[in-house]
Amino acid sequence: MKKLFALLLAGTMLLSGCGGGGEAAENAVEKYGSDTLKLYNWGEYMGQDLISNFEKQFGVKVILEYFDSNEMMYTKLQAGDAYDVLVPSDYMIERLIADGMLQELDIEKIPNIVNLAEGVRSLPYDPANTYSVPYFWGSVGIVYNHNNVDPAVVEEQGYEILRNTDYKGRIYVYDSERDSFMMAFKALGYSMNTENEQEIQDAYNWLLDMNNTMEPVYVTDEVIDGMITGTKDIAVVYSGDATTILQENEDMSFWMPNEGTNLWSDAMVVPANAENPLLAHEFINYVLTYEASLDNSEFVGYASSNQEVLDELSGEGGLFAENEAYLPRAGYAKDEVFRDNQVLKKTLAELWIKVKAAK
Amino acid sequence: MRQFRNMIYPYAVWTAIMIVLPMLMILLYAFTKAGNDVTTFRFTLENFARFFQDAVFLDVLKRSLVIAVVTTIVCVLFGYPIAYVIASGPEKSRVFWILMITLPTWINMLVRTYAWVGILQDDGLLNRVFALFGIGPFHMMYTTFAVVLGMVYNFIPFMILQIHTSLSKMDKSYLEAASDLGANRVQSFLRVTLPLSLPGVLSGITLVFLPAVSSFFIPKLLGGGQYVLIGNVIETQFLTSGDWNFGSAISLIMAVIIMVSMYLTRKVDTDPAASGRRE
Repeated sequence: MKKLFALLLAGTMLLSGCGGGGEAAENAVEKYGSDTLKLYNWGEYMGQDLISNFEKQFGVKVILEYFDSNEMMYTKLQAGDAYDVLVPSDYMIERLIADGMLQELDIEKIPNIVNLAEGVRSLPYDPANTYSVPYFWGSVGIVYNHNNVDPAVVEEQGYEILRNTDYKGRIYVYDSERDSFMMAFKALGYSMNTENEQEIQDAYNWLLDMNNTMEPVYVTDEVIDGMITGTKDIAVVYSGDATTILQENEDMSFWMPNEGTNLWSDAMVVPANAENPLLAHEFINYVLTYEASLDNSEFVGYASSNQEVLDELSGEGGLFAENEAYLPRAGYAKDEVFRDNQVLKKTLAELWIKVKAAK
Repeated sequence: MRQFRNMIYPYAVWTAIMIVLPMLMILLYAFTKAGNDVTTFRFTLENFARFFQDAVFLDVLKRSLVIAVVTTIVCVLFGYPIAYVIASGPEKSRVFWILMITLPTWINMLVRTYAWVGILQDDGLLNRVFALFGIGPFHMMYTTFAVVLGMVYNFIPFMILQIHTSLSKMDKSYLEAASDLGANRVQSFLRVTLPLSLPGVLSGITLVFLPAVSSFFIPKLLGGGQYVLIGNVIETQFLTSGDWNFGSAISLIMAVIIMVSMYLTRKVDTDPAASGRRE
């Protein structure tokens, strides 16, 4: 009899559980007009429980798609695919705004915006958060094995160490025209947004010289595994990836060159053709909460856009307290943000393939 | 039979949409340039001029052809003996070995190529095995060796299958006749087996050379981006710099090179003197 009762109880609990879910979903439809959110984000860029927690809390479903470059995302968007939330990078947001492909945000629906970290407030591509709310941010710096490379040399030479033949055959270079030209421009003391032909030519020659004398290996995400296993001694990487590398391999150190670097940010935006903008706002607001931001940043290793999380993780006793790559440097005059410039981008892409093709 | 003729139409439409239309698009893109405000595009030969006037691109083209030719030669050198041994075995073992050859192709090419990264790395599988014998470590990743190895590994099944097919179709009584007429084994191989299997070798060459010359992710993964081949240049034009016109022009140049080489191969195939079928 007791058994039967327990069974019955379990049954009713199960039923009411289901009923609860259905109710929430119904509420969601009532509240947002739909219970599905289409999210288009970078791969490996979210906390483990972010999506399931959001789904549970708001009684909605999230359809996830991943992209691996801003350009790929742009092409899909242009083809007419509708998403509710995207997470593109700074220069791409600038381009999307210019093309009229984003809708203005209703800041009143995103009260958690007050949590934004100091370093990602009033960013040049969208100073008043009219269209975008930062998600992760960071810099680009040099990861090196401090057993094989003297920290003093790295700190003194900055990006020039990539042309120091003492380290020939021991370097990784990020395979993208944007990041490689950034370090060449910075090494030469130019702006990374320069359109000056002579400066571009100088940077091209700088990279050509590196290619011809250093036997660099050009990689993208393989750099993370490569540095964790210690295959090479020096690599130029995004700070968030550097955080992961430093967590996994204690022989590695991180240095943000004095010549300046790329201060980047990825932010959440709502495309003009979004089918469910109300739920999109709810999601953006949710990501800015302490719990969601903590989950994201702890798991992915990129710097949080939530000040409290940033302070906690980098502060004393925090998960990344000993990790010099986690906290990006804010307010350094020589650091810059990439601006959207299609003509320049084409020129650099062409020159970059020529650098790699030169033998 | 006549009433079945209409059944061709769906295929004709399919071919038109899937093959002819994309080709025409490439053709159109290759000979045009994004225009100004008045016209959306204009016809030009600039894309081709840009390619042929640039030493860097010509170098890349040369490098691609050399690597593809080397890959093809290695595939013939290894593929022929393997196919020969398989074809001369009994029926049962033949089926088994052909299955073994085709089995890896069931797995995605990208995954298989990634696996080689783990094998060839400085602290990879191969070097660990070498270390057991006290040799090495050898630096293999990001070298021409790795790129050619990756290509041979990925494309050699096409070669083996083609040669095997033509060898197993061969009438064994020719060999008996040859030995009746006093030919030793080497002579009967050179004068009977080899000429009869040549069509298989030639179609194998085509099947290996084509993907090898246009491959872009094998050099990217195993060559560390240092071995920029023509496929990588085309990829960049479409995915990074967004210059579809230039990308199409390079694709077209490649298509012409491939068509010419296929024509030459066919010529060897049908030329009785070259294939050794003496009257």
